[in-house]
Amino acid sequence: MLNLLYKEWKLAVHPTGYIFLSMGAMLLIPNYPYAVVFFYQTLGIFFTFMNGGATNDVFFTTLLPVRKRDVVQARLFTVIALEVLQILLAVPFAVLRCQISPTQNLAGMDANAALFGLVLVMFGVFNVVFLPLFYRSGYKTGTPYLLAVLAMTVVVVAAEAVIQLTPALKQTLDTTAYHPLQMAVLAAGVLLYAVLNLAAYRLSARSFERLDL
Amino acid sequence: MDALTVSHLEKRYPSFHLRDVSFRVQPGRIMGFIGRNGAGKTTTLKSILNLVHPDGGAVQFFGLDMPAHEFAIKQRTACIFGAANYYPQSALKTIAAVYRRFYPTWDEPLYQSYLQRFGLDPNKKIRQLSQGMSIKFALTLALSHHAELLILDEPTSGLDPVSRDELLHIFEDIVDREGASIFFSTHITSDLDKNADDITYIQNGQIIASGEKDAFVASYRKVEGRSEDLPPALKERIIGLHERKGEFSGLLRAADAAGANGLAVTPADLESIMVCTERG
Repeated sequence: MLNLLYKEWKLAVHPTGYIFLSMGAMLLIPNYPYAVVFFYQTLGIFFTFMNGGATNDVFFTTLLPVRKRDVVQARLFTVIALEVLQILLAVPFAVLRCQISPTQNLAGMDANAALFGLVLVMFGVFNVVFLPLFYRSGYKTGTPYLLAVLAMTVVVVAAEAVIQLTPALKQTLDTTAYHPLQMAVLAAGVLLYAVLNLAAYRLSARSFERLDL
Repeated sequence: MDALTVSHLEKRYPSFHLRDVSFRVQPGRIMGFIGRNGAGKTTTLKSILNLVHPDGGAVQFFGLDMPAHEFAIKQRTACIFGAANYYPQSALKTIAAVYRRFYPTWDEPLYQSYLQRFGLDPNKKIRQLSQGMSIKFALTLALSHHAELLILDEPTSGLDPVSRDELLHIFEDIVDREGASIFFSTHITSDLDKNADDITYIQNGQIIASGEKDAFVASYRKVEGRSEDLPPALKERIIGLHERKGEFSGLLRAADAAGANGLAVTPADLESIMVCTERG
């Protein structure tokens, strides 16, 4: 598995995957829909898969002494690394945002722990739609990406709407001040992210094992 | 123990059917896999390697079942499908650095010697290589981890005659020195005339011959002469009869050649056997 991960980072990850890691700095924008900041990384992931088509990545990899499900697992770990790294790199900017400008974000949720919980769910939904659809063909990226972004957007918009329209949630989750409920949302996000990734792996591995290359 | 045993392999596509494909590659031998374009060579190779899923049949490498022992089998095998047409923007040394990690038997000095032998610059990118050089790089990777079985799809097409000859000598060397086996598909039959021990011939998804090359070639004769000298009984037996301007040429089974008195009967080669068989 380590060898496959080495291959991913040495040959497969598209440069935008690294560039979009820095998008966390956008949390410093006073009024901005912060979920969008994290959407960029799904583009980085998309480019990595799309680039794989141009570089014959699947073909090179499956001829190596590996099982097809290992190929899926290595790619999913890489995707998770890109997503989690982006979140981790965004944390200092979130802290800084609350320090230098404690005024409320008027364009959506504030940069707090609950936002990161929501972003994890958003990434989880992206992964569970995008990867299994991609591994049905091993090369088609367009439709899987569109559907994954659509699913992700529905979830984020719905969550934002519930928070904005429910006063109790708005006061506790959409604020630059700390509230324990934010940590609960983060914990739920971590849990859901893990469950969705497990499902993404199982579904993708099954599709890919069945696929004739 | 055979390096590769394929038994009753079946794969059905809407417009193509691989039917009851069976053959064996013995250790220390070079087997050529011949057939015209679209006959099922690549599909067979992909089915053997579990890249496509056969609908039936069994495949064993070194006595181990595929796909149950896929991981171990692939470590002891090297596969090339044409040129190194992957990661065009990456340097050869970067790809080699990744590739070598997957093979515990990787031999760095051997790899370096092949780079030198083929005149490959490890700092070059794949996209800077010509087709021929790119095939040589794919071969360099495949040859550098002491694989016990090399499975090569069209390894010589795109190479100049000198490089082809050089490669065929390398094949002989690997078989003689390491006792490895080579199974390679090709439509350049003259390469097989030079160094194959065995031949498997596939036509329209079915194996029509598999066995020792010399015996296979010896079972046919080329025959030619004037059409008026060709007895009707013999004409019916000619495979791939071609007639023009009162002259004819074709192929006969060795057993039928006795009746060809007065005609020019010469030993057949793989190309004439393949061309006449496909002509029907």
